[in-house]
Amino acid sequence: MTGDTHYDLDTLADLAEGLLDVATARQVREHLAVCDPCGELLADLAAVREVLAATPTPAMPMGVALRIDKALAAEAGSRRGGVGLAEAPDWDELMRDAPWERPNQAPEPARSAAGSEEVAPEPVRLGVVSDDGTVVPAKRRASRGRRWALPAVAAAAAAAVVGTAVVSTNLLASGGDGASAPQVVAQPSTEPTKSLQKAEVRAYTMTDSGYNYSDNVLKQPLESLFGPMPALGGDDASADKVAECADKVSQRSGLDVFTVDQGQYNGSEALIVASWKNQAAKKVRIDIVDPFNCKNLRKPTLGRW
Amino acid sequence: MNSPPETPSAAERPAITDAELLTAHIDGDPHAFSEIVKRHRDRMWAVALRTLGDPDEAADAVQDAFVSAYRKAATFRGEAAVTTWLHRIVVNACLDRMRRKSVRPVADDELIEAAERETPLPDQTVEREVSMEVSAALKLLPADQRAALVLVDMMGYSVEDAAQVLEVPSGTVKSRCARGRAKLAPILSHLRNRTDLNRVSSAKGAELRDG
Repeated sequence: MTGDTHYDLDTLADLAEGLLDVATARQVREHLAVCDPCGELLADLAAVREVLAATPTPAMPMGVALRIDKALAAEAGSRRGGVGLAEAPDWDELMRDAPWERPNQAPEPARSAAGSEEVAPEPVRLGVVSDDGTVVPAKRRASRGRRWALPAVAAAAAAAVVGTAVVSTNLLASGGDGASAPQVVAQPSTEPTKSLQKAEVRAYTMTDSGYNYSDNVLKQPLESLFGPMPALGGDDASADKVAECADKVSQRSGLDVFTVDQGQYNGSEALIVASWKNQAAKKVRIDIVDPFNCKNLRKPTLGRW
Repeated sequence: MNSPPETPSAAERPAITDAELLTAHIDGDPHAFSEIVKRHRDRMWAVALRTLGDPDEAADAVQDAFVSAYRKAATFRGEAAVTTWLHRIVVNACLDRMRRKSVRPVADDELIEAAERETPLPDQTVEREVSMEVSAALKLLPADQRAALVLVDMMGYSVEDAAQVLEVPSGTVKSRCARGRAKLAPILSHLRNRTDLNRVSSAKGAELRDG
C-alpha cells in the first residue's frame, strides 16, 4: 500500500486510534499528506466521534424510574419474607393501573379476600361527567380503553372497603383533568359506604417520584409526567410538610394547587407544585419550592398539563 | 461551607460515597440502595438506551441490572469503583439481551419504523433528527463494537475506564472503537454537512428543501 494506492477506513481508523505499528503509521501519514480523498475519509472518521459525542443522552423517563423502584421494592419484600412493606408502599396495589401494568380486569380485592361467591352490595357507583355536565353511570369495563382514571377510583373504593391503609381518598382528586376528558366521580349509591364518606378529601394529589426534574423536562405537558404516578396517602410527617408548602404556594399565587410531587430539581430536593391557571386550556402554573422552607427554587413558570 | 444552608437531611447525603451506600445496603439499610439508583439511573439509562437502541428493551435491561446489583451487592469488591461495577452489570444485561434476541440483522424497514416511532413532535429539532439517525446507525454494528463506542464516544469515558467496564484489555476497546467508527463513517458523514447547512441558514435550507 504505497504510492497511489488509497487506504481504507479500517486502516485510517486504526491510525487515528494509534493502533498501527510505527512503520505503517509513517507510511499512511505520508500518503495522507498528498491524498485528498483519504484526508476526507479521515475527516469523516473524526466526524463520527463528534456526532456521537454531540448526541444528547436523555434522562431516564419517570415511568422507567418508577418501574425500577417497584421492582426493587418487590425484591426487598421477598428478601424479608414479604413483610418488609411497612415502610415501602404496596407497589403492586398502587401501580396496577399504570400503563405498563396493562390491567385486564377490574380490581376486586374485597370479594376475593372474602372468598365467597355472594354478591356484595356495590359500595359506590362510578359515573362519568359528560361534556354538558350531567353524570352518566359508567359501564364496568374490563378493557384498558378508558385509561386509568376509572380503575384508580375503583381501586380506591375497594381499598377503602377492605380497610387497607395504602390508598387514600385523594385519588378521587386525580381524575379531574379539565374539560377535554370526561371526569370520573364517585356517586353515592343507595347504600353509601361509611368509610369512604368519612374520609377527608385533600384538594390536590400528592405523589413522591423522587424524579430529578430539569427545566427542559418541565416544558413538556405535565400530564405525561404526573399522570402515571401513584398517589400517596397522607399519614406521615412529610405529608404535613407538603401541605404546608402547598398552602404557601397557593397563598402566593392565589391559585388552586391540584397536584404536588416530591422529587428533585436539578439535583436538590424539591416539591413540584402545579396549580390551575386556566383549567379549560390546560394551562398550569408550576412552582418549584424546597421542601423545608417552601421557598421558590426558580421563578414560577407557566406550563401545560 | 458550600453546602446548601437549609437542607439538613439532604445536605448530609452527597457526602456519603457510593461505596458507603453499598455497604449500608449490605448491612440492611433499606434506603441505601435506592439512593444509589437515584444517583446513577440517568447514566445507566443512557448507556442502555444507546446500546440497545430501543426504549422498551433498555427499560428491561436497566431494571434487570439494578435488581441484579441489588442481589449481588455483597459480591462487590472494593477494587473497582461502584460506578464501574454498575456499568458492567448494565452493559452485560444489554449484551445478554442482544445475544438472546438473536443475531438477526435489523431490516431497513424496521429501522424506518423505529425511527418513525421515535418521532413525537412535528416540530422536531435538528438535534432530534441526528439522535435518531445515530440510534439507527448504531444498530448496524456488532454488539461489542456498539458497546465500546457508546461508552467511549457517546458517554465520554476513557478507554481505560471502558476497558474495566467491558473487562477486556484497552487495546481491544481501541480496536472495537476503530472498527465501529470505520463502519459508521459512510453512514454518518452526511450528518456533518447537513447539520452545518441547517445551522448556518435554516431559512435558506428550508427553501432549498421545499423547492
